Amino acid sequence: MLAGVAVTAQRWPIVGRRLELEVFERVLCSGEHAGLVIYGRAGTGKTRLADECRQQAAKGGHPTERVAGSRTTALLPLGAVAALLVGGLGRPGPEGQVDAVALFEHTRRALHDRYHGRRLVTVADDVAQLDAASLALLEYLAAQGTIFLVATVRTGEPVPDLVTTLWRDGRVERVDLHDLSRAHLDTLLHLALGGPIEAGAGREFWEATRGNPLFVRELVLGALESGALVERSGVWHLEDRLPTTSRLADLVEQRIGGLPGQARSVVELLALCEPVDLDYLDTVAPAGVLESLERAGLVTIAVAEGEVRLAHPLHGKVVRAAIPRLRARTILLAEADRLEAAAPAPSPAALRIALWRLDAGGRPDPAVLVRGAHLARYAHDFRTVRRLVEAVPGQDLDAVGALLLGEALYELGVFDAAERVLARGLQLPSSQHLALRLAVTRAKNAQWGLCRPEAALAINAAARAVITSQPLAEELVADEASVLTFSGHPGRALAVLERITGSDRRTRVVQAIAAAPALAVTGRTAQAVAAAEAGYTDHVALGEELAIAHPAMHLVNQVFALTEAGRLAEAEQLARAGAEIVASQRVPIAQIFFAANIGRVATLQGRVATARRYYAEAAGLAEANRFAGPRRLALSGLALAHAMLGDAQAAAQALAERATMPAFGFRGPEQQLADAWTAIASRQPAEAADRFRAAAAQAASTGHRTTESWLLHDLVRTSGQDASARLRDLATACDSPLVSARARHAAAARARDPLELAGAADDFQALGAMLLAAEAAAGAADAFSQAGDRRATTAALRRSVELAAACEGAVTPGLFRAATVHAAAAVPLSGREREIAMLAAAGLASKDIAERLYLSVRTVNNHLQHAYTKLGVSDRAALAQALGSIA
Amino acid sequence: MTPQQIALVQSSFERLGPRLPDMATRFYQELFARDPALRPLFTTPMDQQKVRFAEKLTEIVRAMPRLDELLTHTHSLGARHAGYGVRAADYQTLGDALLAALAATLGDSFDTPTREAWALAYNLVAETMLEGAAARPISS
Repeated sequence: MLAGVAVTAQRWPIVGRRLELEVFERVLCSGEHAGLVIYGRAGTGKTRLADECRQQAAKGGHPTERVAGSRTTALLPLGAVAALLVGGLGRPGPEGQVDAVALFEHTRRALHDRYHGRRLVTVADDVAQLDAASLALLEYLAAQGTIFLVATVRTGEPVPDLVTTLWRDGRVERVDLHDLSRAHLDTLLHLALGGPIEAGAGREFWEATRGNPLFVRELVLGALESGALVERSGVWHLEDRLPTTSRLADLVEQRIGGLPGQARSVVELLALCEPVDLDYLDTVAPAGVLESLERAGLVTIAVAEGEVRLAHPLHGKVVRAAIPRLRARTILLAEADRLEAAAPAPSPAALRIALWRLDAGGRPDPAVLVRGAHLARYAHDFRTVRRLVEAVPGQDLDAVGALLLGEALYELGVFDAAERVLARGLQLPSSQHLALRLAVTRAKNAQWGLCRPEAALAINAAARAVITSQPLAEELVADEASVLTFSGHPGRALAVLERITGSDRRTRVVQAIAAAPALAVTGRTAQAVAAAEAGYTDHVALGEELAIAHPAMHLVNQVFALTEAGRLAEAEQLARAGAEIVASQRVPIAQIFFAANIGRVATLQGRVATARRYYAEAAGLAEANRFAGPRRLALSGLALAHAMLGDAQAAAQALAERATMPAFGFRGPEQQLADAWTAIASRQPAEAADRFRAAAAQAASTGHRTTESWLLHDLVRTSGQDASARLRDLATACDSPLVSARARHAAAARARDPLELAGAADDFQALGAMLLAAEAAAGAADAFSQAGDRRATTAALRRSVELAAACEGAVTPGLFRAATVHAAAAVPLSGREREIAMLAAAGLASKDIAERLYLSVRTVNNHLQHAYTKLGVSDRAALAQALGSIA
Repeated sequence: MTPQQIALVQSSFERLGPRLPDMATRFYQELFARDPALRPLFTTPMDQQKVRFAEKLTEIVRAMPRLDELLTHTHSLGARHAGYGVRAADYQTLGDALLAALAATLGDSFDTPTREAWALAYNLVAETMLEGAAARPISS
């Protein structure tokens, strides 16, 4: 009758999960899926379902494996998935580096060979606990069809990129687990106990657990052990009250707290080091202890694999929390020694041994730490890189370690420390290859982190003096060009790049990073776009390497080049796509530049409120990641957007914030647009004109042709001064239709040629530069009006107003002119229209105006609408300005 | 389940007596009305099918108080049904049809406590049938 009970604890029944198991079976067999993700709150049975899936798969002849993250495994990259590294960790390269791609591929092949091409069904329990490198490996293996992933995610916890990426590609199916219904709980109790239960007891279990399966399990097993739950005449009764705690962890604590000493030792060992060999445990644990633990549902013994684990992750968590630190240390170190003696390095166990040593606060092999740091670096997990390399004792730190640590510190925004580590690394013995990477990283830190381009150039020059072999020497030249480009010397950068033959791929990648922005800003935009494209292709083919920018930086460059080429829509599209990619990969510098470039494109499109939003985002990201230079760029853009929206105060505030940053030469002349426009918003046109001219002169002397064109054209549009000759020269020197359109506009404005002004408006509109188009149309209206062509004047004005409607509330002198033209040349306001418009401009709501003038609100609005149309404005702020100008 | 609920299932089943074939007929009517797609899964002639259903149900109701005996019936029955192509999702429909057929045949005596007892009994049977179904090796 009670045959069920003994079986129960070892194989606790699974109830109410058959639909989910069927989903698993379907997606496993379909061949189209890479895995299944199980979501659910704590205790809903995610682990259980995942293990059931694993057993189902095993029954179907699939090989299976199980990995799980924990505080300990998180210490070392790939620590959690050591079981999958059947091909070992691979041999480090000549400089100790680990090629993660090669390791992943090596692992894929080893698994493929071991399982003869069958997919390894891999349970990854609680994926949120896995380190970044483990997630990257699982994603790689799943995407390659080497494993079928069964992952569990606790509802409410962050979902790792692994899951979101596979999910986005439609490669994983998802199931959501909930607590059991009353009927399912009843069935579960019936099956677990092997017979009926007395009505009151059944109700008490329901009220205590509300159908949470893990809670039920712990409560039932605890009650059986304590004798609270007893069977009489084939029916189960509760003789005692159930524990009153509503916390699952408390319940587990109570159960484990009651274990005898020997059993507790086994549980502690498992909590720290599971899985543990069954053979070994049999020799150390007294007879019967393992069996009793298994009966109590605390451990599971996989006889086929010869492994013992704790039955549930929660057990491990509770036990680990309760082990005194010193005792944990003893257990970990003893286990590390035992495993090392059994399997001398290098062995697949090396990772686990290192993990235990780390967790015990001991000193693992520095080689293992550095290897781990390489893997973390591959996953862009710079915090882990830093932690691992910093665990290497100072005297053991070699040049490779210094490079890894220096780069991580730079990425984490700790620039002073990065400078110290990299400078020291350059004094350690190393190959020329390694010295090059140290020097390049140090220069990058000097330029981008410390904002000292002259120091970066000095580091580069010092390296060039000692590193003379090719292709390394050439790469240093490319890097010199990169420093020049990003410190505001595109002309010099291009001259330096002339010295490069570009036969080495890595050199070409660095060369492209330096060349694309320099080419774009000097007006060779087609070449710039091509250089960025080629750089991206080369970079992807090169794979991940140390001391080199992220491949997304080529996309950033391409966005910039497309913008300078006047291909605004394409630039925006690419920037948005790029931003999405780097947001999921967490590459802050690229995130900042994509956001700032979207803001920049929006500025040129005349979508000034959008520009303000993206520049603000870029500034925030730059601040959070401590990139002072990019932050300066973003704040310049932000001030510009505020000023174009007519908010002089906010613009001045952004400039004041910018003034706290060190100077940053990259796009230096362009940054000064912000100062000039802030002067315009503050009604200081003379100062604005001076600033435009000074910045344009600086742009001219450094080779920033497209920037010079922007600055001079803005001078023309805001002051009416002439710069048409220089703009024409720039248009000839550049291959950009945007630069040409500016030249056409300036020439037409000088000649007061209405048809040419209308043509410039056409050009701008075709490029998507709506604000410039609106202003050119307003200029055309002015010229038509002076020529006495009333009809053409009205048409041009209407066009200007329509174009300005796309400009998100921009307030510029060029738009303002449309209003004055309207007032002066077109239809005058009627007395009533003027009266109502004045009240509206003074800030009164239509309802208040209606009350004051004894009119209906509708009549007021009608008059107001007429006034808007006649004045060529679209809101009350512009109305006030327009009335001011004609009053 | 409580012992009282098991007793309630058994006594109400006894009350069907000679109306058991009617209940079986009604069960299949209810089932195919709910999901016509299930009809092709039953390849045996319907008259035989109903007799089999009545026999199996009788065995299961008798075994209700003894879990190990119940499991020998339900596990093999579940494995067979999986072979016919019955999926986990279909068990809900089967249960609804069974309760509807019992209600129609037993009339007023199929009161709320009886219905609840049958619902629990069916849940137990369905879960253990599915356990039996899952014990079959999965195809790939």
